[in-house]
Amino acid sequence: MFWERFRIPLMLAPTLFVIIALFMGGLIYGLLQSLGWQPIIDNYDINLDAYANVMFSERYANEFWQGLALTLWVSLASTFFTSAIAIIGALLLRESFFGKKVASFLFQLNLPIPPIVIGIGMLFLFSQSGLISRIGGSLDLIERSRDFPILVKDHLGIGIIMAYVWKEVPFIGVIVLAVLQSLGADFEDVARSLGANRWQRFRHVILPLVMPGVMSGSIIVFAFTFGSFEVPALLGVSFPRVLPVMAVRFFRNPDLNSRVEGTAVAMIVALIALLLVLAYMWVSRRAVRQE
Amino acid sequence: MTHVVFDQLTKIYPGADFKAVDDVTLDIPSGRLVAFLGPSGCGKTTMLKMITGLLRPTQGSITFDGENILGVPAEKRGAVMVFQNHLLFPYMSVGDNVGFGLKMRKIDKKVIEKRVDDMLELVKLPGVAKRRPNQLSGGQQQRVALARALITDPRVLLLDEPLSNLDAHLRDEMRGLILSIQRDLDVTTIFVTHDQEEAVLLADQIALIFDGKLVQYAPSTEFYERPISERGARFFGGLNFVPGTRQGNMVKTSIGSFQIATQGYEQAPEGDVMLTIRPERVQIVSQPADTNCITAKVSNTIYMGTHTRFKVQVQDDIEIEAARGDFTGSIETGDTVSVHFPEKRIWVVPRDS
Amino acid sequence: MASASQSKKPQKLPGDKPSWLWPLFRTSVLGFILFMLSFPIIAFFINAFAFRWFYPQLFPKNLSMDAWENIFNPASGVDLWGALSTSLFIAVTVTLVSLIIGMPTARALGMYKFKGKRIVEFLILAPIIVPGIAYVVGLNINFLQLGLASSVFGVMLVHLIPVMPYVVLTLSGVFANYNADFELQARTLGAGPIATFYHVTLPAIFPGLVVSGLFAFLVSWSQYILTLLIGGGKVQTIPLLVFTAATSGNNARAAAISLVFIAPAVLILILTSRFLSGRSGAIGGLGKV
Repeated sequence: MFWERFRIPLMLAPTLFVIIALFMGGLIYGLLQSLGWQPIIDNYDINLDAYANVMFSERYANEFWQGLALTLWVSLASTFFTSAIAIIGALLLRESFFGKKVASFLFQLNLPIPPIVIGIGMLFLFSQSGLISRIGGSLDLIERSRDFPILVKDHLGIGIIMAYVWKEVPFIGVIVLAVLQSLGADFEDVARSLGANRWQRFRHVILPLVMPGVMSGSIIVFAFTFGSFEVPALLGVSFPRVLPVMAVRFFRNPDLNSRVEGTAVAMIVALIALLLVLAYMWVSRRAVRQE
Repeated sequence: MTHVVFDQLTKIYPGADFKAVDDVTLDIPSGRLVAFLGPSGCGKTTMLKMITGLLRPTQGSITFDGENILGVPAEKRGAVMVFQNHLLFPYMSVGDNVGFGLKMRKIDKKVIEKRVDDMLELVKLPGVAKRRPNQLSGGQQQRVALARALITDPRVLLLDEPLSNLDAHLRDEMRGLILSIQRDLDVTTIFVTHDQEEAVLLADQIALIFDGKLVQYAPSTEFYERPISERGARFFGGLNFVPGTRQGNMVKTSIGSFQIATQGYEQAPEGDVMLTIRPERVQIVSQPADTNCITAKVSNTIYMGTHTRFKVQVQDDIEIEAARGDFTGSIETGDTVSVHFPEKRIWVVPRDS
Repeated sequence: MASASQSKKPQKLPGDKPSWLWPLFRTSVLGFILFMLSFPIIAFFINAFAFRWFYPQLFPKNLSMDAWENIFNPASGVDLWGALSTSLFIAVTVTLVSLIIGMPTARALGMYKFKGKRIVEFLILAPIIVPGIAYVVGLNINFLQLGLASSVFGVMLVHLIPVMPYVVLTLSGVFANYNADFELQARTLGAGPIATFYHVTLPAIFPGLVVSGLFAFLVSWSQYILTLLIGGGKVQTIPLLVFTAATSGNNARAAAISLVFIAPAVLILILTSRFLSGRSGAIGGLGKV
């Protein structure tokens, strides 16, 4: 009786312990910190000074808002391009052809490669003296390396976006491939029999069927790109910086007071990520229901 | 509406070393309801997919009203297939599912709505357009799939095992619906089944297919009374087979010689044959007749509800089964009885090599 | 005779569109995507062996092993062996622990309905959505007080946070397709709970377990910011080493360390790629966020 009653709670307990004690604990402690609560120095007052300072002070406001805009742009753009390329790649990979095994391997190749390494790869490929530039040079398309457009460490975050796309296409790709594999060709055959041409089968059959999987994957990708540090730290410029980089810079500043600001920026990042993901889920669920 | 002809149709799947469909020539007159019947894996679904355009034949041709349609892609062919597991698009409402084919033809929304309602009416499911497919029962989903196919005014309607996923009581209903709609719309319809009873109940004509080959193409009664092979006869529930030799109206076997009728056997083989008679045609008689009568020992009786089955041992290796619905007497296992084969009911098929 | 032999040839049918157009389009698009995706790896190999690689040479005229000798030489100031073993120890431990504690949770979520299930699912998913930076700044101070900061143990604890959602998601996808009646059947045939788990449950979920473990390992193995802020520079894992090398501008060294860094990951992918298909249900779990 005891076992029956507490079986499920017991099964959940270890994971929930990690989530609640470490994750929630860390978040709550961080939140309190950002509100100025510092028991070590006997400061139990709670205020929004750090937030006001970061968002509205003359010193930081410009950096913060431009950083926010860049962060949003980078994560939305990388999520969009990642999803689009992953769907196209997965669809093309599904058909059987000579060399499919090699193609599938290459498609998944970046899946296990850490983001920081992909970031370095972008430097090797797209910097002004990188491989792509050298290809252009040897084809006499450009004369000097500085004729090559600035694609990494650029102000629009193009290098960062490319790194995320390279890293995450296989991730959404394997999700889409798994969905396609479990569906088989039957729904498309039905649609074809009913008169749907290639484009219509893609638009009205494949896309709605893979969309739930793509949505889930893109939520993960969006949240990851929104809060990630090392790729923008490597491929970004010093102004504007994405918010996670800004937070870490504050946090690691030898001046201990700026820790509070760093924590505040981190909390803002978490809050915006959470709100955007919830909004996205809400909108996309509605869209699916209306389809 | 459409006259469908297969000419020497053959399909070999890439990499396979056998013919999934082997040199099938078949003529389906306009407006008929034809069954492709055979055990699973015999190539009947492959044939459907070639008609609808989802598979390309290796050889041969398919014509609709004399026009070779193999060059017409599936989406323009107008041969609409209803799949076995109905495959309604789960992300669409029932109405959108039914209207799908018209939407693909870019027909005005208002017109589609009207036609969808008509079609749902036709399959006796009015008012479900707004629902989701998963809110319907299996039988209802099957009918929606039928409506979805019919809305496009198909030249040929193809049904893959339309009844096999349904419970027994729903089958009768669905069968009736298919029959009445097919009559009403006069659409050439081909359906695939592995169930000979289903084929007989629904189809005007049955094409019996074994191992990709067309074995027999005839009205359904022929398959019971005039099968052309032992395997075909067995598929239709034939149980009694005795090897023998036919000369004219006489078949000699190890259990005796049997007289067959003078008429109706022009097409039947001569020489080494297999004598066959359906269990329900075998008579168990109290007074031995002069001809076509043997004595045997009852080895088993099985009460089947609507009839009783007797197994009688004629020789060590020859057992005859008889089915009788009107039997009231008391025959028990171990009794010796007289068994009569009426001369018009005996049939002969070639011996399977 | 002539007509019979003619009909044996595949027929060119009237109205057929040119059949090479679509395959050509498909092959070129797919080829481009695959080439671009694998291009960084090619760049790593070139950079790692390049010596005095002047612009605009496409391939370096001189190759050298300098970078490799350098990174494996402790005198160079790069403790690659130390970082490698620390990284491996952390990632393997985190993977095992996460699988052990994640399995029952995934089973509960994949197979049973219970009150508050949605809340539990949301809680477990939350670390995927909330960036590591947000909880690690709080934990940093916390761990300092608890004496867990700058320790391998502390780093492993914090790695569990981003790892758990992936493990539970993938495994719950597996359990959703799993039929527990096999276990009951085994029990009625006389197998004890441990034998049942070993002979029935484990073989059934094994492919999913592999995928799950792969994700767990990779998430921990790739972790940068959590290790940096909790390890406080004392716990040197390979990502930290790679980052330092990349920002120092020594391309050959950065490439060589990166290749060492990705080698185990790519190896795992090769060994497990057959499990990454839809059949195990694990990837399907990821599609259920």
